[in-house]
Amino acid sequence: MKQIAVAVGFLWSVGVAMTTAWASEGVSYAKVADMLYQVMSANREVYTRVVVQRLTVDEKILTASEHFEDDASLPLPSQMFRFVAEAVLDNTEDFSYSLLSLHPINKKNGPATDLERQGLEHVADSPGESFYGEEELGGERYFSAVYPDYAVVEACVQCHNNHKDSPRRDLSVGEVMGGVVIRIPMD
Amino acid sequence: MFRRLMQAVLGVTLLGAAYVAVTMTVAGDRRMLLSGQTTYAHHQLEMACETCHGRSIFASAMTAEKSLNKNCRKCHEDELKAAKNSHSRKRFRNPRMAEYWNKLDARLCTTCHVEHHPEITRASAVTVAMDFCVACHSQGEQDIRTTRASHAGLGFETCATAGCHNFHDNRALFEDFLLGHAARPEPVRPAVHVLAARYLARPGPTDKALERGDAIAPPAALASPDVLGHWAGSGHAQAGVNCTACHAADLAEDAPKAQVLTRWIDVPPMGVCMACHKPQAKTFVMGRHGMRQHPGIAKPRDAQQGLARLGLSRVMPGWMSHWLSDPAVPTWMTVGKARLPMHADADPTMAVDCGSCHGEHNLDTVRAAVEACASCHDDPHTRSYFDSPHHTFWRLEQAGKAPPGSGVSCASCHMPKLEHHRQVRTTHNQNDNLRPNEKMIRTVCLDCHSLGFSLNALADAGLIRKNFAVRPQIHVPSIDWAVARSLSNPDAAEN
Repeated sequence: MKQIAVAVGFLWSVGVAMTTAWASEGVSYAKVADMLYQVMSANREVYTRVVVQRLTVDEKILTASEHFEDDASLPLPSQMFRFVAEAVLDNTEDFSYSLLSLHPINKKNGPATDLERQGLEHVADSPGESFYGEEELGGERYFSAVYPDYAVVEACVQCHNNHKDSPRRDLSVGEVMGGVVIRIPMD
Repeated sequence: MFRRLMQAVLGVTLLGAAYVAVTMTVAGDRRMLLSGQTTYAHHQLEMACETCHGRSIFASAMTAEKSLNKNCRKCHEDELKAAKNSHSRKRFRNPRMAEYWNKLDARLCTTCHVEHHPEITRASAVTVAMDFCVACHSQGEQDIRTTRASHAGLGFETCATAGCHNFHDNRALFEDFLLGHAARPEPVRPAVHVLAARYLARPGPTDKALERGDAIAPPAALASPDVLGHWAGSGHAQAGVNCTACHAADLAEDAPKAQVLTRWIDVPPMGVCMACHKPQAKTFVMGRHGMRQHPGIAKPRDAQQGLARLGLSRVMPGWMSHWLSDPAVPTWMTVGKARLPMHADADPTMAVDCGSCHGEHNLDTVRAAVEACASCHDDPHTRSYFDSPHHTFWRLEQAGKAPPGSGVSCASCHMPKLEHHRQVRTTHNQNDNLRPNEKMIRTVCLDCHSLGFSLNALADAGLIRKNFAVRPQIHVPSIDWAVARSLSNPDAAEN
């Protein structure tokens, strides 16, 4: 687990360093958000395939569960994504991001702002497209970008379709489950 | 006459203002400036204002509040992390939560815990109205009354008072945990605390064990049969720890005897205990017994530095030097400073250190687990313990009539055995699993009781006063509601 965290941390550092360097050269907010998303998306997919899918489905060495500490199992990919998002907020306020859905298992991961709702609806209705906009939150102006989040493996679909709190139970692999929302303060 | 009176009033006012200005900016005792009584526990360090408020008195209100909250986290962040804080600051720092910042700003401890306001302070130093959940959970997607049929008619003042929810620690209260334990029956008696049993089964005396004749100490100490006998029967002697390890701790183990006796210290400081018993010491300073030893407590201000900062002379007359000195936080908590009821005959000057409970030489963990507590604490819960089934099990275990780990002492619940990196240790922070009391469900109660029984018992204030001498008279419906909800979702697979 420690090695995984170190590897994820290293990839993050490289990604954030690259995007910070580019931003200082006058790169647009959208471009910075796109680059951040590429790092997040790659991390998420690598953890899902190389760690969770391999150890739980292919090798059957471990399980992955929502209550991973009680069950001595792996955190779910969505949990890993959120843990890193919270850890990033400990290090910087230069950007923030969230994994959200119009049909969240946990209601706190549903849209909280008008822009989040518009963005999540857009990426769900227009597969492959992203959504960009600006919004004011807590007295600050933010550039906000929303990217589609796909069900990449069968395990994603199984969990969401069978969870007792899931408001949607007809997801299939390859479908948009939600979106990644990235915010960069503009002031 | 009136003019003289006005002059006197003005003079006293100016003197008072000067006193306040000097003690605020340079040094001096500021306890008379406290705006209200400090909460229990924090009162132990209230003379060291900087511990919470920081050192910059000219900071803006916003900076001061940030600094204050940062200092809260310095001492309390680890326990919140361990509690899997349900409303973590991290979660609410994300700008998408901005809407909630104006409702109940969970980024700041001081939103719900304001010091020096005893008139509105409740248990756990909470200072917001009891229905605080209404701020966020009564609207839209978060409206709990519409998303949970069982909650439709409930008042928000009951969320955190009925044994169902806590703001921070819900490790034993979340829905899947309730469901996972719903069908578990009461364990068969005699039940055993798993970690306590493992701890008691650890290897006994080794070939390093020392006897009375091995003791290295000055003749006067060796002449005391009590001291020598206590040591020879202690865990120290069994583990090969000679008198010199504590009384001449700065010398090497194989130092010549003559040298040892010249460096002998009659009363070793607690640092000597801490040097070997680090995990115990680390948790001891987190609790109310040992918090005056916490490394985060601010040191007294240096008056000369304060004067120099203001461009004034560093040289002070003696009387001023005495007046301009910050009172240091006393090294120890004493019985007399406790706000909980203590025995009338307990020595108010007695300090709470390692020896207070364990004894200086016999290190009696059995006494430390019950009698030591009851020698100071004098409240209905403590007094009732001796008539409770918990105490009966403890007596049976000590008499060898019940399995190791089956007894329940004060320490079993308040200073439980915890596992860290596969090592079982006794936490010496006796407050850690006390507020809210559901914190002790996982670490203590479930070894011997079902979750339902534990929830009911811990929600029954009258039963707690009686130290669980009878069965709970309260029923917490959370497990029933969780089960009913899971049955009403037949499409959902078991989680």
